[in-house]
Amino acid sequence: MNLKLDYVLRETAGNFRRNITLTLATVITVTISLTLLGAALLFGDAVDNATVRWKDGVEFIVFMDPDISPELEADVRRQLEDSPEVGGFTYIDKDEAYAEVQDLLGDSPELVEVISAERLPASFRVKPTDTLPERVDELAAAFRTQPGVARVVTASETIRAIEDLSSGLRQRVIIIAIVLLVAAAVLILNTIRMALFSRRRDIEVMKLVGATNWFIRVPFMFEGLVQGVVGGIVAIPLIWLTNNFYSVINEDVSLELLRGFTVDPARVWVLGFQMVGLGAIVGTVGSGIAVSRFLDS
Amino acid sequence: MIRLENVTKVYKGEVLALQNASCEVQRGEFVFLVGPSGSGKSTFMRLLNKEEKPDRGRVFVAGKDIGELPGWKVPFLRRNIGCVFQDFKLLPNKTVAQNVAFALEVIGRPRSMIKSKVPAILELVGLSKKMHNYPDELSGGEQQRVSIARAFVNRPLILLADEPTGNLDPNTSLGIMTLLDRINRTGTTVLMATHDRGIVDKMRRRVVELDRGQIVRDQSRGVYE
Repeated sequence: MNLKLDYVLRETAGNFRRNITLTLATVITVTISLTLLGAALLFGDAVDNATVRWKDGVEFIVFMDPDISPELEADVRRQLEDSPEVGGFTYIDKDEAYAEVQDLLGDSPELVEVISAERLPASFRVKPTDTLPERVDELAAAFRTQPGVARVVTASETIRAIEDLSSGLRQRVIIIAIVLLVAAAVLILNTIRMALFSRRRDIEVMKLVGATNWFIRVPFMFEGLVQGVVGGIVAIPLIWLTNNFYSVINEDVSLELLRGFTVDPARVWVLGFQMVGLGAIVGTVGSGIAVSRFLDS
Repeated sequence: MIRLENVTKVYKGEVLALQNASCEVQRGEFVFLVGPSGSGKSTFMRLLNKEEKPDRGRVFVAGKDIGELPGWKVPFLRRNIGCVFQDFKLLPNKTVAQNVAFALEVIGRPRSMIKSKVPAILELVGLSKKMHNYPDELSGGEQQRVSIARAFVNRPLILLADEPTGNLDPNTSLGIMTLLDRINRTGTTVLMATHDRGIVDKMRRRVVELDRGQIVRDQSRGVYE
């Protein structure tokens, strides 16, 4: 094929100059859709982190004293096993609790350092047979007075509501983001087609003198790639902004229920680069399709 | 060099462009294709570089059945066939030299080769002094010379000229014909569709006449009618 880089760069630069408004529109659409998609995915991560303890029907958690004797712990376990109102429970020992904390606080290693597995309480995550709030409260209260139990935390209706709301919200934002991403692809397709239309004479001559289809196609695909990547790069700081917003929610003491509503910065970076990659794919594929149609006709 | 075997081409199922046409052109020949508008001259040429496919029959170029040619090889076929048109098809935003260089650039020729070949071919067509002008600064005849330079710079085996003098006055046309004749003398097979009675009668080359898609006359050293 013998494609030369300087040829591709020259052609691409020329196309950008000719279609500056369309190029801008395309980049902005890519940015918005990638930001929304990224924000939705982050939001999902944050919700997962905040509600990790309340998965699979766990309605209340019995935290033991950190320095409880094995006999007292066995008593509580036996009581849970014997109670007809308890459908099932999971025992989380100190090490497992520590692993979970590490996951949640991965972004602040100094916090993880001051916590030792020894000082964390072991706990029972309990799934009652009857999930009616009053019945759950009654059952939880029975354990609260048990010797060796530090405290009992019930999943309030608020948490359930937040979980329901967030999963619905997350789905909707992802749908919007995907629709926007498709719109961005169509816009890129359209931009390339306009560029092709304004250069149909060049392409006619290129075909006439025997340029291969790939030779004609590559500069346009490169143009789409640049649009997608630029859109993705602009989306990274916007995704960071949404992450900061989540952090503000997290730090608001009045929302103690949402403790743990946070995302690891490393994860935000990974997501940012994933969005750039997605932009690159959408841009390149979109323009490739646009040119192919032109070439086949 | 070129062979059509019982070729039929119908557009959109009703317009009959070529009907059972057979014709053979040897290497180094100069052939005029004559006939009224719509008689199939352009279709004849478009079949040769596979811009059109025949509905029936076979087309051979340089001994190969181009119907068998996979799509990705068509560009390589076209590198062996130069094309010249009535409307020149020059790129208005490129200079004369850039227009010619473009033809070499898009088939991936090295820059050193482009640098030496472009001035040489412009010298051949007599436009060395105008290589940095834009097409709209040239006369019609000069523009056609640029277009011929572009078609010939890659030294194709075949040169197809579709009414190359259609937009030019008789004197300028004569100059273009002299140029095509010189190209033909280098061994390039030239196929030229034309309405220009004066030129055909003066040149006395092989004449193939088409009428409603059929070859009605094939005469060496022929005249227009």
